[in-house]
Order: sequence, then structure tokens, then C-alpha cells
Amino acid sequence: MTSYVLRRVAQALVVLWAAFTLSFVILYLLPGDAVLAKLGGGEASATVTPEQIAQARAEYGLNDPWPVQYGKRLLAALHGDFGRSIATGDTATHMVLSALPPTLAIAGLGLVLAIVFGGGAALAGTYTRAKWLANLLLSLPPLGISLPVFWVGLVLIQIFSFQLRVLPALGNQGPQSLILPAITLALPTGAVIGQVLAKSLRTQLAEPYIETVWAKGAGRGRVHFGHALRNAAIPVLTMIGVVAGQLLAGSVVTETVFSRDGVGRVTTAAVNGQDIPVVQAVIVLAAFFFVVINLAVDLVYPLLDPRVRQNPAARTRKELVHG
Amino acid sequence: MAEVLAPRAGFVLRRPGLALAALVLLLVLAWALVPDLFTHYDPLSGVPREKLHGPSAAHLFGTDETGRDVFARVVHGAALSLRAAVSAVLIALVAGSVLGLVAGARGGWLDAVLMRVMDVLLAVPPILLSLALVTGLGFGTTKVAIAVGVANVANFARLMRAEVLRVRAGVYVEAARAGGVRWFDVLTRHILPNAAGPVLVLGVLTFGTAVLEISALSFLGYGAAPPTPEWGSLVAGGRSYLASAWWMTTLPGLVIAAVVLSANRISRALEGERA
Amino acid sequence: MSTIWNPCREKRSHFSVTIVRFRAIALFLSIAAGSLLVACSSGATTADAGPPRAGGTLTLAIGSNPDCLDPQQASTNASLNVGRQLVDSLTDQDPATGEITPWLARSWESNADSTSFTFHLRPGATFADGTPVDAAAVKTSFDGIKALGPKALLGSGYLAAYRSATVVDPQTVRFDFSSPSAQFLQASSTMSLGVLAPAAYRKTPDQRCQGDGLIGSGPFVFSSFKQNSEVVISKRKGYDWGSSLWKHPGEAYLDSVDYKIVPEPGVRTGSLLSGQLTATTEVQPVDEAQFQGNGFSEQTRPNPGIVFNLHANVTKGVLADEQVRQAVSKAVNRQEVVDTVLSPNYKPATSILASTTPFYTDLSGPLAFDPAGAARLLDADGWAPGPDGIRVKNGQRLSAAVVFSPVFNQNQSVLELIQQQLRKIGFDLRIDLRTTAETQQLQQAGNYEFIWYNVTRADPDILRNIFSTKAGNRSLLQPGNPLDTQLDQQAASIDPAVRKPAAEQAQRLIVEHAYAIPVFELRQVVALGPDAHAVGFEASSRLQLFDTWVSGS
Repeated sequence: MTSYVLRRVAQALVVLWAAFTLSFVILYLLPGDAVLAKLGGGEASATVTPEQIAQARAEYGLNDPWPVQYGKRLLAALHGDFGRSIATGDTATHMVLSALPPTLAIAGLGLVLAIVFGGGAALAGTYTRAKWLANLLLSLPPLGISLPVFWVGLVLIQIFSFQLRVLPALGNQGPQSLILPAITLALPTGAVIGQVLAKSLRTQLAEPYIETVWAKGAGRGRVHFGHALRNAAIPVLTMIGVVAGQLLAGSVVTETVFSRDGVGRVTTAAVNGQDIPVVQAVIVLAAFFFVVINLAVDLVYPLLDPRVRQNPAARTRKELVHG
Repeated sequence: MAEVLAPRAGFVLRRPGLALAALVLLLVLAWALVPDLFTHYDPLSGVPREKLHGPSAAHLFGTDETGRDVFARVVHGAALSLRAAVSAVLIALVAGSVLGLVAGARGGWLDAVLMRVMDVLLAVPPILLSLALVTGLGFGTTKVAIAVGVANVANFARLMRAEVLRVRAGVYVEAARAGGVRWFDVLTRHILPNAAGPVLVLGVLTFGTAVLEISALSFLGYGAAPPTPEWGSLVAGGRSYLASAWWMTTLPGLVIAAVVLSANRISRALEGERA
Repeated sequence: MSTIWNPCREKRSHFSVTIVRFRAIALFLSIAAGSLLVACSSGATTADAGPPRAGGTLTLAIGSNPDCLDPQQASTNASLNVGRQLVDSLTDQDPATGEITPWLARSWESNADSTSFTFHLRPGATFADGTPVDAAAVKTSFDGIKALGPKALLGSGYLAAYRSATVVDPQTVRFDFSSPSAQFLQASSTMSLGVLAPAAYRKTPDQRCQGDGLIGSGPFVFSSFKQNSEVVISKRKGYDWGSSLWKHPGEAYLDSVDYKIVPEPGVRTGSLLSGQLTATTEVQPVDEAQFQGNGFSEQTRPNPGIVFNLHANVTKGVLADEQVRQAVSKAVNRQEVVDTVLSPNYKPATSILASTTPFYTDLSGPLAFDPAGAARLLDADGWAPGPDGIRVKNGQRLSAAVVFSPVFNQNQSVLELIQQQLRKIGFDLRIDLRTTAETQQLQQAGNYEFIWYNVTRADPDILRNIFSTKAGNRSLLQPGNPLDTQLDQQAASIDPAVRKPAAEQAQRLIVEHAYAIPVFELRQVVALGPDAHAVGFEASSRLQLFDTWVSGS
């Protein structure tokens, strides 16, 4: 078990390093650089001279050959220092960390709503005996996946902020400013959860052990919620890494639509400005979450699923084949 | 796809949702091929005096800020939007399948390296990856399609590799290999036909996500070169007029949703077929 | 639609015309008449405007994150609209006349060749940390800007020839330049050369960007900055050294200004209409109609400086041919651009400089829409219509690309319309959207045919920055051409009698040779809710919120 954990941690570190390198390569290869983006962004673009550009590049160390730049960045990153943002002058680590709470707030509420929406639709859809209702409920998750996120956000703003005037369209203030962004984020995420849960519920309900439970005289609710759900929830749990990634990705668009601060906004601005330090900090953070969550799921999984408890490596192989 | 579904007309008819989904995709395909059958308005130049009119019998989806018919722009935009989404899928499918095939077939260190690279691609959310790629490649529909395609490579690679491993473990393949059949023949005779199904399902599903991701990138400001009416940029462009012209975002947005929904429905049907 | 009579809107249509005639008569003389024009361009417009009242908060939307709040470093409108309120400048510039007027400096003089400027400071002004605004502090601040180097995105250009500042006595400071710098007088009125306290320079430039140590003597002080969310500034208690152009003495009316950072134009508009904002900047042309009446109002002012234009690189492709450039200029229907994609608030360009720039001259004659004339020019030049409607000569297609980056939201629509217009004379304009970094790179390398941009500066010296072969030289002209001579001449003297003819001749040369093809004047459009009044613009069309007030709760 210990060697398994160590191996997984080592793999995780490799993924983090690769994410760091990948982001450096992409941004380094782009035409132009952060200095040009900064100088070209405002009124200064007209009057800036080549000497100024050269001087600014030297100041930010952009004149170094790429192995030197890469080496310096990697060394600093090992100490948690991703360097200073060229656009804002703030440290990249501080920018990303201070943008994290507002993103976690909408992502957290979004996740809760997603579980309520998605789980609710899947459970009710498989529980009900009315065929039309089941069809209706089970068609909701595919619909949720099909809607462009930014479009949902704009429509919600149009209805609840501009027409009904019950919720604010913008800003980070107060709990009510969380509601619309969280719903926007929850729709696609809830849809994924709903789809997976509905499918695995149906699979579980068709399993032989359910027959046994029926035979023991259990009620419909007990069969459904007590036995089938417990087992059906496991595949959903393994998807939590995907879901987290989806929430982060959704926040890029949602935060722009709702004029909120957060990791998504920081990211788009940094990518547009080719602000390598900030983009690297974000990508490594995203990869970090992904890796940690997956690691946690892998370690918790054996505790939930007795079949895997004996041999954790078996699951990993199974995952690779069927995932 | 047609030959898969044609002999099963009854199967389709018993599923009105599926029939509707197929109809939607066929209609959109027809828009792409013969747009002039569906609208007589010019998608590129409008009548400035008729700008920002709401939906009416004359303009089904209303008009935009320069007086162009929005429905005409949606119909004429079908070709480019479909091409972008299909190229994204093809890039992901071809590159991903080849990588997965090589990894699965060769095994060993090459497999390990390729799969770690795929892990990285999966660890970074696709939208971040596309965002970084598209800034590097520049603006334009083709480049956005490439970025979205690359961001989806990992899914195909993993699926293909899994199929290769599954088929390789099959008794009949072992038998074939033992019987002296060359590796290439094993590939074409056993692995590819077996993998085609799941890859097709994922392809159709990815088509849906590609449409969404392309439109999201357009929204963030990396759209088609002007003045081409690509769907994503239509919705994105219309959002400036949210307060005064809701139809410019809402209606093209609904078209996108309908297409993605249909693709997902068909993907599920194909998956069910296999299962 | 609305029955509310709006006096300022009525007058606005005559605004630019009045200014033109006015300038022609006496540019720098009449402040009285000037203030009338100010009242129209930036005065209160709502019908129910009562006497101004002190107190309250203005919640104002801006369209992008002000990456850096320090006005000495910043260059985007979003940043400057905040920074302007925090610092005072040595001088101010009258938006109506272009005249330089007293602010921190009561008076000033310069030597004959504009290489030395002496300012006499007013007594009594203090920074927010209580230290006095004296000659030593001013010297520290200007040396500090020079020391920022390229980080002072705009200031480094203004101080390009800056040699030193000398404290003559506690209230007198002298600046020396290594070459004639007539533009410095106007530059001294901008926020880019606004004065910060000596304590500010004990912080790093990066810290000042975030508001840390951003200590000015302005009517507002920095309170807080949440990236991508909001900036809050509050009233400076005891402020009493306002610009001579402002309408009331003492402190600002507003207790605080809450800048909300709202990137979505539709959300800005909708939020103002639904009462979540008191005012918003960067109103989309299409949304303007919603703020006419119903208690809402608009304040607008054209940006001075270089108008949005297709700047030609005369060494590239078909644009090396002067007749081709002239034909393009004749074939652009500027009025149609304004009518279709923009709004009645916007004006077609009538020179390479906007009508609010000092020494602007009206060249609407040479810039008239004349498609027949354009076709004649091309016919005579040997360009014959090709099979696809695009003209051809010796196998070369009449085609050029325009590079642009999405800074102003309507750019793409405008270029699409120009593309349609030029197609009618057989010219194929290709639209090439690039990131700002890429555009900047292409521009530095001279690797473009047309480049699309504008520059805001309330001084004609901006022409020298862009066109002189010794500076930006965006047209890639040969050194020693007649335009250079005129540009050098206007830079050498602050005397209007010298500058005016040189600046006017330079504009004429640029338009006649079609080195750049002017299209329209950018305009700042601010929409005000029923409670907001008197949101003003300074001479560079950045916000001036000193006289602004809010009514109601």
C-alpha cells in the first residue's frame, strides 16, 4: 500500500512538472510577449520606442535565452514563487490565491446545486413510475449539457436582473450575488452528474442482488435509496476530478459574464496579456487540484468498494481500460 | 451514420426524440450545403435602415446592428460552424487514435511516456488549454478548431489505447498472432473494426462539446475572421446588444443548443446500439 | 419618444462647428466663451438638476480591469479614469479652447527654444500624507517618473528629452530639456505627469500600481482595489487647491466613487437601467438611445488626438502607389460608417486630428466621399476591373490587409463596413485581427500594409510621435521629407503663431498624400442614471469627477 501511494505521488509530481513546462512552452512560443502586450494595450502603443521595449524586456528578464528563463522560473516555482505579473506588478502567487476565494464560493455553491439538480433529476427520473415524467426528468441532464454556459448566464441576467430586478447582475458583494453565477455553473455540472448517476442507477437496479433485496421484502424506497443509490454513487464519486475541472473551466466564462473577480478572470486576462508567470501559476494550480482530488479518490475508493479493497492497483488498471 | 440507422426505421420511429435529433442535424446539414434554399437575405450586407428589428414574419430571428437578417446569418453560418466543429473532432479523433494505438500496441516506455503526456492534457481543463493554444495560433475559426481539437486529443487516445489493450487480450487475436498473422493485419482486421464503434460514439459526443467550446472561445474574443457569420461569434457578437436586442443572442444560442442536444442524443443511441 | 427637453442635447449638434469657428478667431483668448462650451460638453444635463449637493457615492462602471492605478505608469482609459482623481497636475487644460491654465502652478514661463520651463507653485497645497507640495516634492516626482523608464508608459514619451529639474526656491521649480519640447506644457496638465508625494517613491512601482503608497494631492484619495471587481476612492478632506477650470472651490461633492469593473457592455447598460449603477462609461453606440429621456442622460466628448484611421505603410504592396491610397480615402463613406455602426454622437473624421485637438484644421473638403473620383483615379492609374470585381494591374490584385486588435468594441463592425465600401471601387480590404502583443510586434517591425488605431492626446505633437521619421514613422517615409520639417517646427515653440501654421500644414500633407486615411473620431460616452449629475471630461476626454454630484438617497 505504501509503495502504491508513493508511486502515485511521484506520478502526480511528474504531471505537475509537465503542466508547468507545457504552459511555459505554449506561452514562450507565442508571437509577441508580455512586454509588447502591456505596451500595446493602451494609448502608449503609439508612442513607444524600440529602445523602451528593449529596456523593459531586459528588466523583466525576457532577453535571456529560453533555457535560462525556464530554469530560473522552475527553480523559483519549486519555492512557490511564480514571479511577478508583468501586467499588474503583483506577485503571480498572490494574484491567484486572492482570486481563489470568490471562485471557490461560486464553485462550491455550484457543486451543491449541481448535486441537487443532477442527483434529483436522476433519482426522481428512475424512481417514478409515470413514464412521461421519467422521460421528462431524464431528458433534463442532456439538455443541460447542450446549453452554452455564457448564453445561460446572459439569459439569466436578462430575466432575473434586468426584467424582474430581483438579483444583481454583477459584482462580488453579498450572498445574493452568488446565486446567478452558481446556477450558471451548476447547470452543465449537474447535467454530467445526473447523466452518470441515472445510468449507473439503472445498471444497479438491473443487478441480481436487487432481486434478493426485493425478495427480502424491502420497500421500493429502501431498494432505491438504500441499496441501489449506495452502489450507484461510486462511479459519480470517481468523476469528482472531472467535475472540479469543469467548475474551474466554467468559472472562466461565468466570471466574465457576471463581472466577478476570480481565477477565471485572472486567467483570461493573463492569457491575453501573455503574462507567463500568472498563466503558469493558474495552470499549475488547476493541475494540482486535479491531481490531489484524483489521488484522494483513488485512496478513498477501496474503502467504499469492497471488490477493490484487496488490491488497489487493480482499480487503476480497470480505470485505464474502461475510463 | 445513415447506413447504421437506415435498416432500423422502426427502431427510430419508436423514439420520436431520436427522430427529431436526426431531423435537426439533417436540417442544419442542408443549411450548410444549400443555404439559399432557406433564406433569400444576404448574410453579409444588410439594410442599415432596418437595423435591430425584432423577430417578425419578414425576419424570423430579427435583424442585427447593421440591418442584416440574423436568420440568414445563422443559415449561412452553418457551413463554417459545422466545418469548424467537424475539423476539431477529426483532429482529436485522428491524432488521439494514432497516439492511443501506438501506445497500446508498443507498450513499454513509449506507452508510459505518451500516457503521462495525456494525463497532463487531462489535468489542465480543456478551456484553459484551448485558451493558451488559440492565443498562440491567433484568431480565426480554423485556429480555434485546431485548439479545441488538440484539447480533446487525450480522450480519444485513452479510449483507443483501452480498446487496443482489450482486443489484444482477446483469445482470437492471440490465436491470430500465434498463427503467424502480421501485426498490421491484426490491426486492420481485428483492432480497428472493434474500436470503430466506441470511437464513433465519442466522436459524435465530441462534436457536441466542440460546438460548445468553439462558441465559448468566440465569446471570449477569439472568433471567426470578420465578417463571416460563425455561430459562436454570432452569439458572442450579439451580447453587446443584450439590453436592446435579446434576439441576437437568444435565437442563435437556441440553434447551438438544439444541434448539441441532437448530437448527444444520437451519440447515446449509438452507444445503446452497441451495448 | 421622450418629451423631456434636454438643453445640452439640443446644442450638441452645433458643438464642434462652434469650436472650429471659435478657434479660428482667437484660440487662446476667451475663457468666458470657453466656459459656455464647457457647460455644453460636460455640464449637467438632467432636466431636474437642482443645486449641487455634497455627499453620496457615485457607482460607476468601467469596462476593463485597471491593471495599474498609478497614473504615472498607466496608459489605459480604465486606469486613467481612476488615476486622474487622485493626483493634481502643475497645470490644467481647458477642454473647450485647449488653453493651458493654472492648477498647482500659478504661473510659468519658458525660454525661446522651449528647452527650459519654470513653474511658480501656489502655496498651501498638501499631499494626502500631510507633506507640502513644494518645489522639492515636484522635483522628486518628475525625477521619479523619469526613473520609471519604460514603465511610465505615457510619461516617458513626454519626458523623452528631460534632462533635470532644479529647485530654484521652495515655490519655484525649473525643468531643462536637451531638445525643444513645446509639448511639455500640455503634458504638464496630464495625469501622467501628475505629482505624487516623496513618500510614494519609497514604495516600488509595482506597489504603487496596486494603490500602496499612491499618495497624491488630488481631490480624492485611494481607498481600496479588488482586482477585476472594484476600485474605491474617497473624498480628500480639506482639499482647497483645485484647478482654475473647476466650477466650485473647496472639496469635491462626492464622498466616494465606487468604480465597478464590468467587462460586458450589455451588462453595463442593463445594470444602469435597472438601477444597480449610478453611471457607466463605455456605452455601446447601439445602447445610447436607451439613455435619452426617462430621467437618464448622456455626457459625451470626442477624444482629442489622432482619429481612428487606416494608417498606410507606403513601402508595402499596392499602398506604395499614392493614387491608390488617395482612391481608398475617397471611397470611404465616413458618414455611412457613423450612421450605421456608430451613433449620432460620433463624428466622421475631418482631419487626421480630432476636432477637439488644439490646432486642428478642417479638411472635410479633401476627405469628402467621392467614389466616382476614386474610380477615375484608379482607371487613370491603370487598374482595370478583374474577373471577381477586384481591380488588377500587371497581374497584381488591388488588395491590402488591415491589422487591428480589439481595443474599441465597434472596430470590427466599422472595418467590415469599410470592407464593403471599398469593394465597390474594386479594392479588396482584408481584415486581420491580431492580439495586442502581435499588433505591436508587427508595428515595430514595419510589417503591415494598413494598421488601424487611434491615439488620445490633446496636443498636435502627437503627429510628430507617429509620423516623424525621427520618431514612430508609421508610414515608413524617407527622412528629410516636407512633413518632417513642419513637425519639427511645431515642436520647437509654445507660441501659437509658430505652432498653428506648422501643425495645420502637417495635417494637410498627411491627408493629401493619404499617408493615413482618417475615418471617425472616437468619443467617450458616459450614461448617467437619474441621480448622477455633472460627470465631466478633462481636455484629454478622461473623467473629471470633482464637480460631480448625486441626488436622492
